[in-house]
Amino acid sequence: MNPEPFLQLDRVIHEKGRLAIMSLLAASPELAFTELRDALEMTDGNVTTHIRTLQEAGYVAVAKSYHNNRPLTTCSMTAAGRKAFADYISLLEQIVQQTKKP
Amino acid sequence: MSANWAAENLHTIRTLMERSALYRRALAPVTMLTGVVGLAAGGVGWMTQCDSPRRFIQFWFAVACAALAGAFVVVRRQALRDKESFWSPPTRRVAQAMLPSLYVGLIAGALLWARADLEDIEATWMIIPVWMALYGAALHAAGFFMPRGIKVFGWLFIIGGTLLLLGLAFSPEPPEFRFTHVAMGAAFGGLHLAYGIYLHFTEKKHAS
Repeated sequence: MNPEPFLQLDRVIHEKGRLAIMSLLAASPELAFTELRDALEMTDGNVTTHIRTLQEAGYVAVAKSYHNNRPLTTCSMTAAGRKAFADYISLLEQIVQQTKKP
Repeated sequence: MSANWAAENLHTIRTLMERSALYRRALAPVTMLTGVVGLAAGGVGWMTQCDSPRRFIQFWFAVACAALAGAFVVVRRQALRDKESFWSPPTRRVAQAMLPSLYVGLIAGALLWARADLEDIEATWMIIPVWMALYGAALHAAGFFMPRGIKVFGWLFIIGGTLLLLGLAFSPEPPEFRFTHVAMGAAFGGLHLAYGIYLHFTEKKHAS
């Protein structure tokens, strides 16, 4: 089996927690920090760490605002993030296809 | 490295993406419109003395159709404004979740319309808590694909229906027929309007 696709997998996205965050953000224009935390049943600290890593990679944008006089942090996927995510999925599909071949 | 691992990752991604695609259109305009229609219909029903089970069913079926048409127009306008398709996957999931309970409510109403005696006031009273509970169940089911508040709103209907049912079960005789319209207006109109006003002040602006 050709190991090439596996070696090309984006290590930033490949981590389980970050992959989950990217998956949620891929299907929604934006999500509140609390929505991400609740959906993934992660701690605040975990989500913060992963979001920071994704933000540093340029995959996720974070916006801070106020809603009903409460601070609201929302996250959304950037164009670069969308492309990296699409590439990651395409590589996964390649890996699955490769092993299906006789 | 195995294909299982890659396939499992793809499956997880698909599941998470589906879970994330919640129905996010602004609900305040829809619930307020439904509330106003319901309250107005309650008043009209009271004043016009729509006083047989058949006329009651026909009247409230027409009201439900009017409310549904109004909601359709509002949601479609939102979809056009946001340049999104009306029949989006989240909308489809919400509709599918609500359908079974609404279908049972429709059949219960149709049975009452077809079989009730002309003066059967008890059956007419009984259909109200049944409709409330079924509508609440429909909202609760839709709540799995919508923001969290909808489930609570669904429970309000279920609990309201239960209380009304208990009240009817323990009262020596049901109230006058015209009060059925008051109950319908208060339950469906009043609750929707109250929830719509609450959402108007708390829902995130420009929700889509």
